[in-house]
Parts: sequence; C-alpha cells; structure tokens
Amino acid sequence: MQVRDYVLRRLISLPLLIIGTSIVVFGLTRVGGSPIGIYLSHEMTPDEVTEIEERFHLDEALPVQYFYWISGVVQGDLGWSGVAAAPVVEVFPDKLAATMELAVTAGVVAVVLGLALGTFAGARRNRMPDHITRVVSISGASMPLFWFAILLLIVFWVYLGWFPIGRSDPDVWASIAHPTGLYTVDAILAGSFDAFRDAIWHLVLPAIALGYGATAIIARMLRSSLVEELQEDYVDSARAKGLPERLVLRRHARRNALIPTVTVIGLTFGFLLQGTVVAEIIFRWPGLGRWMADSVLRGDQATIMTYVMFTSILFLLVNLVVDVVYAYLDPRVELGT
Amino acid sequence: MTLTNTGPDTHEVRPPGAIASVVDLKVHFQSKRGVVHAVDGVSFDILDGETLGLVGETGCGKSVTARSFLRLVPMPPGIAVGGAIHFRRRRPCQHCGGDGCELCDGLGRLPEECSQCGGPGCEHCDGSGIDNVDLLSISESLMNEIRGDRIAMIFQDPGKALNPGLTIREQIAEVLYEHRSEEIMERAGFDPEASNVTGTLVRRRATQRDRRPERILMSVPPFRSRRARLTRATDEMVAEALTETQIANPLKVMRRHPHELSGGMKQRVMIAQALACNPDLLIADEPTTALDVTVQARILELVKSLQERHQAAVLYISHDLSVVSQVSDRVAVMYAGRIAEVGTREQIFSEPLHPYTQGLLAAIPSGSHERGRLTAIEGTVPELIDPPPSCRFVGRCPYEAEQCRSADPILASFEPGHQVACFIHSPEPDSSLDQPSFARKTK
Amino acid sequence: MVDTAAPRAADSDPAPDSAWRVRSRRVWELTTSLFSNPTTIAGLVIVVLMIAMAVFAPLLTDANMPDPYQMPRDWETPRAPPGTPGHPLGTTNNGGDVLYGIIWGARTSLRLSLIVVSLTVVIGVTVGSIAGYRGGKVDEFLMRIVDVFLSIPELIFALAIAAVLGPSFRNIILSLAVVFWVKYARIMRAQVIHVKQNEYVDAARAIGDSKLRIYFKDVLPNSITPIVVQATLDMGNIVLIGATLAFIGLSEAGIAEWGVLVSEGQAGISSGRWWASTFPGLMVFLWALAFNLLGDGFRDVLDPRTETTR
Repeated sequence: MQVRDYVLRRLISLPLLIIGTSIVVFGLTRVGGSPIGIYLSHEMTPDEVTEIEERFHLDEALPVQYFYWISGVVQGDLGWSGVAAAPVVEVFPDKLAATMELAVTAGVVAVVLGLALGTFAGARRNRMPDHITRVVSISGASMPLFWFAILLLIVFWVYLGWFPIGRSDPDVWASIAHPTGLYTVDAILAGSFDAFRDAIWHLVLPAIALGYGATAIIARMLRSSLVEELQEDYVDSARAKGLPERLVLRRHARRNALIPTVTVIGLTFGFLLQGTVVAEIIFRWPGLGRWMADSVLRGDQATIMTYVMFTSILFLLVNLVVDVVYAYLDPRVELGT
Repeated sequence: MTLTNTGPDTHEVRPPGAIASVVDLKVHFQSKRGVVHAVDGVSFDILDGETLGLVGETGCGKSVTARSFLRLVPMPPGIAVGGAIHFRRRRPCQHCGGDGCELCDGLGRLPEECSQCGGPGCEHCDGSGIDNVDLLSISESLMNEIRGDRIAMIFQDPGKALNPGLTIREQIAEVLYEHRSEEIMERAGFDPEASNVTGTLVRRRATQRDRRPERILMSVPPFRSRRARLTRATDEMVAEALTETQIANPLKVMRRHPHELSGGMKQRVMIAQALACNPDLLIADEPTTALDVTVQARILELVKSLQERHQAAVLYISHDLSVVSQVSDRVAVMYAGRIAEVGTREQIFSEPLHPYTQGLLAAIPSGSHERGRLTAIEGTVPELIDPPPSCRFVGRCPYEAEQCRSADPILASFEPGHQVACFIHSPEPDSSLDQPSFARKTK
Repeated sequence: MVDTAAPRAADSDPAPDSAWRVRSRRVWELTTSLFSNPTTIAGLVIVVLMIAMAVFAPLLTDANMPDPYQMPRDWETPRAPPGTPGHPLGTTNNGGDVLYGIIWGARTSLRLSLIVVSLTVVIGVTVGSIAGYRGGKVDEFLMRIVDVFLSIPELIFALAIAAVLGPSFRNIILSLAVVFWVKYARIMRAQVIHVKQNEYVDAARAIGDSKLRIYFKDVLPNSITPIVVQATLDMGNIVLIGATLAFIGLSEAGIAEWGVLVSEGQAGISSGRWWASTFPGLMVFLWALAFNLLGDGFRDVLDPRTETTR
C-alpha cells in the first residue's frame, strides 16, 4: 500500500475515533450524576439552581445534553469552568501556551540527550558509557515523576537554591508583554535578556523532571537498535569498503537504528503530555495540567471534558504522524493492517 | 613453483609471485565454555592473478580466515590474533589511472616499491623490490586505504550485505568517493589540488569528509551546480561499474533499493561494488550459497570473466567442492582450523592426499556412485576449544594410526605445488614448530 | 593401505518423552536462564522483599486499630526527622509514622496491583479471545471500542474516571481496571489469531476436539507468554499510576498509601522536611523498578520477540 493511501485510511478513521472518544468522555461526566455541583454555592436559592440547570441544559435527556455540548464545541463554546470562573475557551490558550512551552522544552531535551546517550552507549557496548546509559534507562522507565520532581525540588530549590519554582518572577516581567504566551519567545521579542534568563531558569527544573523518563526510553531504544544493527552484515560490508568507522556508524548503522527509535520518540510525546499534570502541580506551573488536576478534584466537568478531548485528539494525531513517518523512513515496511 | 615449509618464522622466503601470504594465522575466540581455536595455524599463499579456492565444511574457520585479511573479525569475542598476513601492495598506475597501458602491462596497477630498499631488492621484500605489509599489524588508517581499494570482499547473502536503507548508487558511490575521489573530481572538471574555497568544498565532498555546515553550504545555488557536477561524474562511474557486471539499465537499477532487486542482481551489485576500484585481491565468501542454482552458474561465470579482465587474484571460499572445482586454479582444503592440503586443481582432484580431502571428494554425488548410496564422512567436526595435541581428523579417519593420536601433523611439501598435513606422507612431525605465536595485534 | 574402519552401528532412538516431561523440562530451562541475568535476579529479590513486607505487615508493626490502613497519629511528635526515637524514618506534619506508612503502604500496593491486574487480565483475555476467535463483525466492534479506549492517554483517562467516581481507594482500583484491560484484549486477540492459523489447531479440529477444548488445551497455553510478561510489568506500573492518582488527591486522605504520603509530605518541603515525601516515593520507585526488571527478564527468556507495551 502506498504511503498516501495509508495516510488517507488513517485520516478517515480518525473522526470516528474522535466521536467515539467524545461519547466515552461525555458518558463519564454524567456517570456520577449531574455535574451541577461546581456551579453551585451554598447561598443559592432553588430558583437560582433551576436557572443554572436550564442554562447548562442539565435538565434535559442525556443525548440532548451531548448534542448541546458538541454543537457548543463546534461553535467555540467549551463550557464554563468553575475552577477558573471563566469560559473555558478564554482560559485555555494561556494555559496551553504554558504547558506547550514546558512540554516542548522537555521533549527537545529528551530527544537530544536520549539520542546522544543512545549512540554513545550503542557504539561502545558493555563499556562505561553503556553501563551509565543502562542505569539511566532502567531507572527512567520506573521513575515516579512526582517523586523525582520532589527530589529535584528538595536538592535544587530548598537546599541549593539554584533554581526557582513557578513560571516567572513578576518583578522581572512587570513591563513586558506576552504576545505569544511562550515566555522565552516573548522575552526575545521584547529584547530583554533578564526576562529571557528568568524564563529559562524557571524552565530548568520542571523540564528536567518531565524529560528524564523520556530520555531514558529514547536512549534505551536507540542503544539496543544500534547494537542490533552493528551486528548486521551490511556494516561489515561498509567497513570492507574502507569507510572510516565514524561514517560506518553514522551513515549505516545509526541511520537504520533511528527508524524504530522514531516510533519511540512519538510514544514519549504521550508520556510528556501525561507528565505535565504532575509536574505542573509540583513546580506550580500555571498550565493545562494543573488546571485539570484542580478540575478533577472539584468536579469541573467542562474543563475535564475539554482537556480529555484535547489530549486524546493530540495523542491520536501524533501517533498517526509517527506511523506515517516510520513507514516513509523504512523502505522495507509494507503498509497494511 | 616450490612452496617451502611454512612456520612461525616471518623471515622465510615467500614466492615473489604471491600477492598475499598467510603465515601461521591464529584467531581465537572467547566463549562461555572456553577459548575456541577457530583458526589455529593456517598458512597459504595466493599467487598474483590466480583463483585460490578455500574449501571446508561449516565451522572449519574459512570465513574467519577470509575476514582476517580485512581485519573484520570482531575483537570481542575474538581475543587474540597471531601470525601474519603479508600483502604485496600495488597502487593505481598514474599513467593510465587504472585503465591499463603499456607501463603497467594493461593491469592498471603498479607494484609499490619496497619501503626499505626502494626497488633493487632486500630482505624486507625478499628481493622482489615490491613493498609488503603485514595486514594484521598496520595502522587502521592504512588498513582503510587498502580495504575496498586493493582488497575487496563480497559476502554470502547479498540481501543482508547491502544496506536496505540506501540506494544502490549511494552504496557503490561510497567506495568511489573513498578511494577514487581525485578521478571523480577530474571527471567533473575540477582541479583536485585547488585550495580556494570552492575547491576545498568540492574536495571535501568528494572525499566524504564534509560536515553538516559544509553540506548545507553546498546545497545553495552557487555551489549547488558544482555538487551536481560531482554527482553526475560519480553516477557515470557507478553506471560503468554496474555495466561491467552485465546489469542492463544501470541508471534505473542505481536508483533502486536492494530489496527491489532479485538475488542474482543483488550479487552482481555486490561484485560491481567490490571491483569498482580495481582491487588486486577479491575475497569471495560463499557468494553463491544464497542463490538459486541457475543464478549460481551465471554468477560464477561472471566472476571468472571479471577476474580475467581485472587480472585480480580471487580467494574463493566455499563448502561446495564442485563449485570450487569450476573456478579455482589452486585449492586449499581446510579442516578444524588448519589447512589439511593445498595443491593445484588437478592435483587435488585427481590425486587427493589427505584422507579428509578424499572423503570430501567421495561425498560429491555423481554418476559413478552406486544408485541410492551417499558416502558421508563419519563423525563430526571436533570441538575447537583447547584442542588436544593430536591430528584433528582422529576419530573420522579411515587410516588412523597410533602416531595420529599423539601428535599433530604440519603442512609439508609432497611434490612441487602440493602440500599436505598428514603423517601418511610426512612421518616426522617437528614438535618445535608447534609453539603458538601470539602477538596481540592492533585492530 | 590400512583397512577401512567398520561402519558404526546406528544409534537406536530413545523413546520419545511424554508431553509432561517436555513441558516441565522446558520450565526448568526457562527458570535457569532467568536466573542467569543479574538484573532479573535483583528485581526478583526486591519483589520478594516487598511482598514479604506487605504480607508480614501486622507482625512488623503495631497495627493501628480499628483500621490498620489508616495512618496512626502521634500528636506528641509531629514533624520529627528520621532517627527520632520511636520513629526511625520520622513523622509527617500530622504525626504519622513514616515507617508505618511504608510498610502498610506496601500492603496497600500489593492489594491494588493484584486486584487490578487480576481484573484486567480476566476481562482483557476474555474480550480478546472472543474478538480473535469470532472475527468478523464482533471482532470489528470490539476492536473499535478498544481503539477508542487506547486513544485516551492512560493517566488522563484514569484521572477522569476517578474524578467522576469520587476520591477513594476502591475507585482508583476501578478506574485503573477500566483503563488497563484493553492492553490485554489486544495482546490476546493477536495471539489467538496467530495461533488459530497454526496447524496444530487444524489437527485438533480434525480429531474432533470441540472449540472450547481446543481453546483451553491449545490456544490458551500458547498465548499466555506475552500476557504473563505484560502482567508482571503492569504489577509495577499500576502501583506507579495509582500512587500518582493518590498524589494528585484522588484517594482518601490519611490512609497508608505511598502516593498519599508523598502528597502529605509536600507541605513540609519548603521548610526542609524532606523525609515524609522522599521515603514513600522511594518505595514507589523501587516497586516499579523491581517489577520492570522482572518483567523484562521474563520477556527476554520467554520470547525476545514479543511486543508488549510499557
């Protein structure tokens, strides 16, 4: 099957999956009874309660409620967040920017470090770099993020005081605008070195905490793929041609070893996404994850639904891209079921 | 040509016509159960322009021997290499650039003058005046110069020996870039010596020494056209190499990936790649084992004709004696890490001396056997871990005698050109020559 | 010339082994190769220690009455650092003994992982078997559901479910079960399809074995390997995710659960009281690490080519 056909097939099944997911998500929020709780407060009169019910269509039948929700989403109305006391749609972009900045930084760090470690270890099998990498990868895959993050906090914030928590120092940012919502970019645009440094400094700890697990997974995958590829005949063939070893490694072994590693990199995206929930809590980062955590504890269904749908769609898209890229990279792969 | 006794002494006389001489090669491997003496004192010569068939059953060490020429034996688990592999270096004839002319007798190659005496002859070059290196002890960079250029290798399964992710063109071009960069540059109209920016960029690209910034730079318009010229010149040379192996449509084949080609095509590609730089020695490690019988015959023909054209020596490894009989001028029979017998094709096939050789010949199914009976050699190959000091054929040899169980015969001359390691033909083993020689070689 | 040796007598074939002997010998071989890997042994040792700690909890500590799973409060010595008499690992802000929390937390974790893994394996294997065996529309339908479940990231899905059900230990079990059964369904289905195509199933049918009998005798035993590997890995991961959920606040406050303890200990961090969060967190790490090592070891030994998800 051609790459193009495969992409089309996957794209077609996408809407179905999204609809299915939305039904599941919606169903979830109604399982515990009416989600009205977040909108109520003690002083409300019965009339006010009824008014709220009608406003949010909570008095209608479930399929009708679902329809109201979906049509609202399509028109850009994602509901009212009790936690943020504002429409979800208004609060979402800023928090999204915060989470993206963190997740992308962590992701880039993880990929760069992971690939470097993996190459290092794979080419020097069973020697020191390999052992170090193995320790990192094994611990990384089992590391509870909340624990690692707290450890980092204790050492680098409480005891050493090298890095701050939160997202920014309000004094530094007092006069700087946020056109993009990504603080590092905003600082560059405003030409302020202090703001840039402040943004980076606040990013360090959470990005390391978030990226550690992903680094481990990537390094491990690349290492084992590299070791496998180095045992193949074509590597000997390349050496027999008189190519210097670094060319053999780079152009032959590693290039082929990167192919399965790419899928793993895609997987780590899901890892990072889920990690932001915990990381943002611990490092007091004002992003989607922390908002979701608060919403979960207080029953803010609008936020929960939006967040789950958003992450699921993102997840699906990333997986699709990864599969397509993998198929494109490996000329041997047959795209089938 | 008389071949004298070989032994660990590196100053014995080597025949001047030999392009390569293996002297007491030993390669040992570490395994869970002990040290495996995969190759345990192997010596033979490869004469210029001949095809030497190296025969033996699976596990006898022939592949390891072959790979030792190019130092392709992985050093863990390999732990020690002893002995020497002398190689008489040649270089491309500067007069014709490898095409063949009067100066080089049409070979396209000239012998490298001996580094010690510069031509007249001395002890180092055994009076031949030709330089001689020990492949097991030269530096890695010199080894890389020789690999692919003076000694080339083709592997058993072309499906595995070609990189599935690269096109045919890229893989053949690699070896040309590595060793024939000057020729590529000249063909593309560049001066290989140029020291200006363009010249340097071009040269670095042609020698595969460019780094990412240089590559990015070369993709930009003023330099892009120069890169295209280099690419075209390389394409031409790749196409020439492919045409030589009788591949039709070389331009189309070049752009394919290995998995799009048939087994026979892939092997032709391997051969084209190996012969691209006109090597002096081609090592063929069971090149037809993975192919269909009909394809096999054609590949054998191809190798034979190409060898004549390039006047290269071929070390042909196989377990199949009938195949070896078709292509070889001389044959070396290997058993359990040692050479059992060496001789010309006629000598081996009509007058096999070693019982193992006799057994191999008897095992070839042919019309002269009784219907329904296949002769097999009884027993199995011995474990090569800490081999006992007896002949390795003990337990399988129909002529086994007391002497065979207590001493190990060495390769000795029986008649001109014919050597055998067996007590039947040389009753006096010289135990002093059996000491292992173990110099840890640089890899 | 010397006369040729007489031909050796052909070896007589020994009697073929019984199926039981072959299987038990294979189990023995697997066990020995399992023990040849040092990391696997390390994992096994830690697992055994953890389980021992969980099982012998009532013996190791004074169980807190009436509910031993509630953290005991020693109001006399709150915020005590490790080494304080009576509290070797210190106490939390509320005077909870950290060591008690560690030990009973192991018990909680064991309960959590065992129940969830059992539930998910049973449900997943059943659904996967039906899908794989029946094929056709049934398979499509079931797999669509599986696909939908798989498109929601695990933690987030579990979060949402637990949020809806309300914070309690039982609800964490339920939400994890709902999220994780799909993995097994997928694995089992793939195995069933693969095994179905094998000849020995045809052979069994030819003898006249009923479908159910074929299932239990041929299909199930041969499909079990990746399930076992995944279940082992999940024993670790369930506790990891469960602790995370508890940390976020979806478990009951005050119970002896590692995630809950870490969360409680957070308040003391800025004042330098690191022990209340560090030790329970370490336990989560060790538990997950041990089962991951063990699971990897199983995977290497049982079938290096098996595909399992983390």
